[in-house]
Amino acid sequence: MTALPQLLVSTVLLGGIYALIAVGLTLIFGIMRVVNFAHGEFLMLGMYLAFWSFTLWGLDPYFLLVIAVPLFFAIGLGVYALVMRGVIHASHNVQIFTTVGLSTALQNVALVFWTGDFRFVRPWESSIVIRIFGAAFNLSQVIAFAVALLFTLALFAFMKWTHAGRVMRATAQDGEAATLMGIDTDRVYRLAFAIGIACVGVAGVLISPLYSVYPTAGLQFVLLAYVVVVLGGLGDMVGALLGSLIVAAVEVIGSYVFGSAWKEVIYFVLFIAVLVFRPAGLLGQRGAEALGV
Amino acid sequence: MRRHALAAFVFGASAAAPLAIRDGFFLDSLILILMWGAVSGAWNVAGGYAGQVSLGHSAFFGIGAYSAALMATRWNASPWLGMLVGAVVATGAGLIIGYLSNRLKGPYFALATIAFSQVLLIVASRWRGFTAGSEGVPVPFRPGFWTLGFASKVSWVYLILCLALAVYLVQVYLERSRIGYRLAGVREDEDAAEALGIPSRRLKVMAVAASAALTSVCGSLWAQYVGFVDPFYVFSVDLSIRFSLNAIIGGVGTAMGPFIGSILITSLETFLRASFSDVRGGLVGIYLIIYGCLLIVVVRFIPQGLVGWFGQRFRAMRLHARA
Repeated sequence: MTALPQLLVSTVLLGGIYALIAVGLTLIFGIMRVVNFAHGEFLMLGMYLAFWSFTLWGLDPYFLLVIAVPLFFAIGLGVYALVMRGVIHASHNVQIFTTVGLSTALQNVALVFWTGDFRFVRPWESSIVIRIFGAAFNLSQVIAFAVALLFTLALFAFMKWTHAGRVMRATAQDGEAATLMGIDTDRVYRLAFAIGIACVGVAGVLISPLYSVYPTAGLQFVLLAYVVVVLGGLGDMVGALLGSLIVAAVEVIGSYVFGSAWKEVIYFVLFIAVLVFRPAGLLGQRGAEALGV
Repeated sequence: MRRHALAAFVFGASAAAPLAIRDGFFLDSLILILMWGAVSGAWNVAGGYAGQVSLGHSAFFGIGAYSAALMATRWNASPWLGMLVGAVVATGAGLIIGYLSNRLKGPYFALATIAFSQVLLIVASRWRGFTAGSEGVPVPFRPGFWTLGFASKVSWVYLILCLALAVYLVQVYLERSRIGYRLAGVREDEDAAEALGIPSRRLKVMAVAASAALTSVCGSLWAQYVGFVDPFYVFSVDLSIRFSLNAIIGGVGTAMGPFIGSILITSLETFLRASFSDVRGGLVGIYLIIYGCLLIVVVRFIPQGLVGWFGQRFRAMRLHARA
């Protein structure tokens, strides 16, 4: 049991980062009722943003956040206007393939412009190792975790206490009723999409020192984010937080017990099992998925 | 007969082409067009006719490819036998996925199928003792019909043409038969279909299993034709997207749609690959950017696909002429 502190710390650090990726996804789903298959590609773009600023100008990924938040918010607004707006009331299949098409296009934009090479961002923080109670982790992980947690909490506060947040929650609960109350749902969707993309873009910047950067880097994280989001219940933000911790625990313990090669199998099997047995998520109500989706 | 005019033209032209043109590059393109058309047709059985949109069909394609390749390399068995084994395994997997489809709707089902194909990808690339791991499996070339080794591309054209025809006929059956009408009923309104006594659950499971078996057969033949099975290719999400892409561009739930889609997409790909291959490696990705944008535009503006769209125009024109 000497590994226990390490496993715990790794779980919490990883869980915080997954949470930031997942809250954006679950926000977009909860309000727009659109499953965004291109979510991982925005994460990948965030990672490339960090990589290029670091290599070209020596900018530390964490200073970049000041630019990344407004930039990805703007990207979110643009993509919403160009692509998402027209399909928001379309059938599931149309929505699925719209976001799949977006994902394919973005992946290959990265491939054409920046090649398929694996790239690395190694700022000074990532070489500083911290040891507490026999658990070792590097400073990048801690910063990424802290910032991710900060953003996630800020989003929670925004949704709970601001007027815009209340309007968004109202739209999520009943879009038609919200329209009748004079809420401009188009603006709500636009804002939700932009915030979701800003979250995942920031997450991309944050994790760039921890993982390699390549055009399809988003795929593994987006699948993982879906595991998180489905576990927590699609659209449920507190659930997403809990789901992140569970998935992180499964990943950390799984790689400790079975070796890191098989950890993905464990969470995909977990994913399918949850989809089959608790499609509304661990916290969600039974049958909720049939209403919402 | 008019209904099959387009099919007769496409398949007839494919059969006649090798008689006139012997160019290797052209024949290779023709084989790939028919092959990807056939897989997309197989996808269409579940995704189009039964309305179960899967984004993990590469799982079944990979099962077929691996069965044929492993049966040949490990037990020196005929690839035909491997194809059969693959089809049986894929049917089993299809029954499981089909069962999932009864519990999961729309995006949930698509997500579950992606996860399923990813599990197979990890197993195939990590289980070194059985699948040779991430290096992939080279398929030995043994000349002869029984061992599916044809040196001439012309034989391959006719073999894959038979496959494409078979897939086409399965789809036509699903359009015109009792089972097909029932499936359409389930797809359009499951509750109403149930109320009429249609066993919707069983029908969906059957459609997904049949689609899986057909996809697997395509995978086996593809492995024999290409001669190499790479786990990261045969189980990739990109491949699953390609299967659905052809059907969507051509027309989901139409028998010719997948083939029309394949003609467009595969030729576009071949053309762009040929024109950009010598410029810079990464530029090959341009065709995938075009794919992605095409997909967004098509589902938005002509969600019924080209065959569906032209079909509507044609019928409207005829009605107009009659009036």
